[in-house]
Order: sequence, then structure tokens, then C-alpha cells
Amino acid sequence: MKQYVVRRVALAVPTLFVVSVLVFALMRMMPGDVATRMVEGHAYAPTLAALRHDLGLDRPVHVQYLEWIGNVVLRGDFGRSYWTRQPILDEFVRRFPVTLELALLTVLVSVVIGIAVGIVAAVRQDTALDYVGRVLSILALSVPFFGLAVVVVVVPSIYFKWTPVYTYVAFSVDPLQNLKIMLVPALVFGVTRAGPIMRIMRSALLDVLRQEYIRTAWSKGLSERTIVLRHALKNAMIPVISLIGLQMPLYIGGSVIIESIFRLPGVGLFFFEALNKLDYPVVQSVNLIIAAMVVGLNLAIDLSYAFLDPRIRYR
Amino acid sequence: MSIATAPADVALARRAPARTRPWYLDVWVQMVRRKPLGTMGGAIVVVMLAAAVGAEWISPYGFSQTSLLERFIAMNRSHWLGTDQLGRDVLTRLIYGARISLYVGFGAVLVGSVLATTIGILSAYFGGRVDMLVQRGVDAWMAFPPLLLLMSIMSLLGPSVWNITIVLGVAFGIQNSRVVRGVALGIKEHTYIESARAMGSGHLAIAARHILPNVMPTIIVVATTGLSTVILTEASLSFLGLGVPPPYPTWGGMLSLAGLDHMYQAPWLAIWPAVALSLAVFGFNMLGDGLRDLLDPRLKGG
Repeated sequence: MKQYVVRRVALAVPTLFVVSVLVFALMRMMPGDVATRMVEGHAYAPTLAALRHDLGLDRPVHVQYLEWIGNVVLRGDFGRSYWTRQPILDEFVRRFPVTLELALLTVLVSVVIGIAVGIVAAVRQDTALDYVGRVLSILALSVPFFGLAVVVVVVPSIYFKWTPVYTYVAFSVDPLQNLKIMLVPALVFGVTRAGPIMRIMRSALLDVLRQEYIRTAWSKGLSERTIVLRHALKNAMIPVISLIGLQMPLYIGGSVIIESIFRLPGVGLFFFEALNKLDYPVVQSVNLIIAAMVVGLNLAIDLSYAFLDPRIRYR
Repeated sequence: MSIATAPADVALARRAPARTRPWYLDVWVQMVRRKPLGTMGGAIVVVMLAAAVGAEWISPYGFSQTSLLERFIAMNRSHWLGTDQLGRDVLTRLIYGARISLYVGFGAVLVGSVLATTIGILSAYFGGRVDMLVQRGVDAWMAFPPLLLLMSIMSLLGPSVWNITIVLGVAFGIQNSRVVRGVALGIKEHTYIESARAMGSGHLAIAARHILPNVMPTIIVVATTGLSTVILTEASLSFLGLGVPPPYPTWGGMLSLAGLDHMYQAPWLAIWPAVALSLAVFGFNMLGDGLRDLLDPRLKGG
């Protein structure tokens, strides 16, 4: 086990190195220049050359990269925003709880809906209930969440005089008010993500229900409820859990859009605003932090499989 | 459920000499006979294609034809789906929007498929250190949440139809090269590859003449199932103002935050593009699912 863990962690390091090079190179190679915009639009410095010197943009690219990555690795310092001069990590840490809460609530919504509908569809296979469930899941897959979000923001405000709450309140300040604010975005996002979970839940459960130990359970005279919920569900959950893990990057990417529609002050909005201002350090650092989280999450999932299933360790 | 019946039929389609249809026509016949949802998806896609190709003839107005006297009209006889804040006809813009969506969608998938095939086959064929290097690159790319990376690139490149097509194509290609590589790895081990090599075929000839045709069904499946994702991603980027720039009408752009204030006066500005986008994604999803069931190489047997 120990050897397996070491090997897996060692594999993650080169991936993260390539990630950092990739994101840095992208920022520097592409057209679009932050310095020009800062000088022309906002007069941050008297001349372009002065500002470029100030920001260190006049130095060779590899020096800039080494300085950035060196500070990240050695000191955990992700640099400062060009525009606000604020440390990036502080801002990220301040905003991360919002995005995390949104992601967790979204997962919760999609898992509850997806698993419930999936179980019903599997247990009542080929009945009207099954077809309704499957059509709903296809619909959920097809409706773009940002389209649904815009419709949910606009239509009820016209016909029911109801609008989502836009002034954000932190969970630690007023949990109830906070949940009220987060509920609608999480519902909108979660409903559109429930489709794939429902589909995989249904097919996994159908698979398990045909296995022999389930037949044994039937012949012991257990009730359907016990068989499905106590015996079958546990084994059918494995593919569902790995799907949720695989989808985490989608939740993070989607949070940019959801946060900008519902005006939630999370990492997504931070990133989007930085993009619009071509704030290199913010964009590359946020990309790196999130990529590191994704790599870490995948690693954790792989390790938990190895922990649960000894066969994987010795491959 | 379809999986159980498919092998027999696919085998039949390949064997039966009485049926003279080639497989790429036969797939469609099978689709209509056995896949009602796939057929429905296909019908939606055909309608969308027709709208895109014939936009000039079908649509009643020009896509940027403004009329300040007719702003915010709800549905009526001359504007079936109403007008927007500049008096532009919503139906017309939806029809032209289909053109942009398909143009970007097909363009990106074409670029992406070629790229995925090239990377996948080369990486699998040469194996060893080449494979190792290429795969670490793919790993790194896949570590990003896709939307974040695409947003970063598009904000630097600037929005344009050309840029978004290429960027989405490259992303699609890198992601799906994994799938192609997996299939190619399996094919590489067959004895006929070995015999081709023994007969003195060059690397390129083996890759192009022996591996490529066998990878083809996988590529078709990947491409059709990927179309809906690409169209949706284009819409999300256009929604954020990072995709196709105005004045071109796109469904994502019509929904975008920039127009949110107007939508409170005219909710149809939000509803119709959302419906169009959902229908298109639904159509491509169903068509892709149907095609996958009929074409999946795993179902064909040895």
C-alpha cells in the first residue's frame, strides 16, 4: 500500500509541473497585453516601458516563470494581482468557501434527485415510471444550465414578482439567509447535472439486481425495500461515486457562469473578473490552484479505491 | 437493452450479401427501424441543418436588421417569436444562430477529430517514450476544468468565429486522443500489423492503411457524441462574451448577461434561445446515442 501511494504521488508531480508550464506559456504567448491596457485605459503608469519594468514584464520569460513557480513552491506565495496589488492566495482563500458551498449543494441536489429517480427507474424497469425518469434525465442533459438560470432569474420576476436575492451573506453570519441565497443557484445547477447520475445509477442498479446474491436475498423472503436499499444499493454506488468525482471539474468550471448570473462572490467570479482585465498572475495562479485540486482529488479517489480493493494495489 | 440485440443485427448487416446497401447507408435504415429517439434526434439535426444552410431564404428579415419602431414586440403575425431591444426579429436571429452553432460545431469537431486521430494513433503506434511524453501532456491538459482553460485562452485571443472554432477543436482533439489511443493500442497487437511490417510497409503506411480504417468507427462515434458538447461549450463561451462576437447572432450570445436587463421587459428574449439550444443539444445527444449503439466497435465482435 505504501509503495502504491508513493508511486501515485510521484506521478502527480510531473503532471502539475506540465500544468504550470502550460498555463504560464499560454498567458505569455497569446496576443493581448495587460500593460497596454493598464496604461491606455487606466493610466497606471506614465509610460508603457515604465509599467512593464514595474511589473517585471521586461525580463526574459523563463526568468519570470522561475520566479513565479519558485515562490509558489518554496513559499506558497502565488504573487499579487497587477491591478489591485492584493495577494492572490488571500483573495482565493477568502472566496473559496462560497464556491465550495455552491459545489457541495449542487452535488447534493443532483445526487438526491439522480439517485432517487435512478432507483425508481431501475426497480420499475420498463414501466411508465421508468420511461418518465429516462426522458427527464435526457431533458436534464439537454437543457444548458446557464439558459435555465437566465430563465429562472427573469421569468418569475415578471410573473410572480419574485427575484433571487443578490446581496450575499456568508454562512457564518446568517446560515439561514445564506442557504436561501444559495438554494436557487444550487437547484438550477444541480437539476441539470442530475441526468448523468440518474442514468448511471439506473444501469448500475439493474446490473446488481441481476446478481446471484440478490436472488438469494429474494429466496430468503426479504422485502423488496430491504433488498434494494440494504443489499443492492451499496454495491451499485461505486460507479455513481466515481462519476461524481469525475464531474468535479465541471462543477468548478460551471461555477464561473453560475456565480456571474447570481452575483455570488466566489472564486469563479474572481477568475472571470481577472480574465476580463487580463490579470496574468491571477489567471495563471487560480488555474494552477484549481488544477492542483483536481489532481489531488483524482489522487484521493484512486487511493481510496486502492484502499477498498486490494487488487488495484498490486497491478 | 439495445446492447443485447445489437450484435446479431450488426453481424447480419455485415454478412448478408442479399442486402447491397453499404454500411454507412445501412446504419440510417437501422436507425429509423430500431431507434425512435435516435431518429427524432436525427430529424431535429436535419431541421437545424436546413435552417443553417437556407437561412437567407427561410428567415423573413436580416439578422442585424433593426427597426426602432418595433422594439420589444411579443409574438405577432409578422414577428412569430417577437423582437428584441433593437427591433430585430428573434426568429431570424435564431435561424442564423443555428448556422453559427453548426459552423463552429462541425468545424471544431472536424479539427478535433483529425487531431485526436493523429495524436492517438501516433502515441499508440510508437509507444515507449513518445507515448509516455504525449500522455503526460494530455494528463496536464485534462487536469484543468475545461471551461477555465478555454476561457483563459479565448480572453487572450479575443472573440472570433475562427478563434473559437480552432480552440474548441484543439481541446476536443486532445481530450479524445485518449479514446483513439486506447483503440489503436488494441489494434496494434493484431498479427496482420506484424505481417504488414514483415512485408516491408513503412510506419506511415501501416498507420494510414491498417490502423486508421479500424479506428474509424470509434472516431465517428466520438465525433457525433461530441458535437453536442462542443455546441454547448461554444454557447457557454458566447454567453460570457468570449465566443462569437456580435453582430453575429448566436444562441449563447442572445442569452448572455449583457442583454439581461432587456429580458425583464421581454422574457421571450431569454426563453427562445434557451429552447433552441436545448433542442439542438437534445437532437445531437439522441443521434449520437443511436449511432453509438449501432456503430460501437465493441459490439461488432472480433
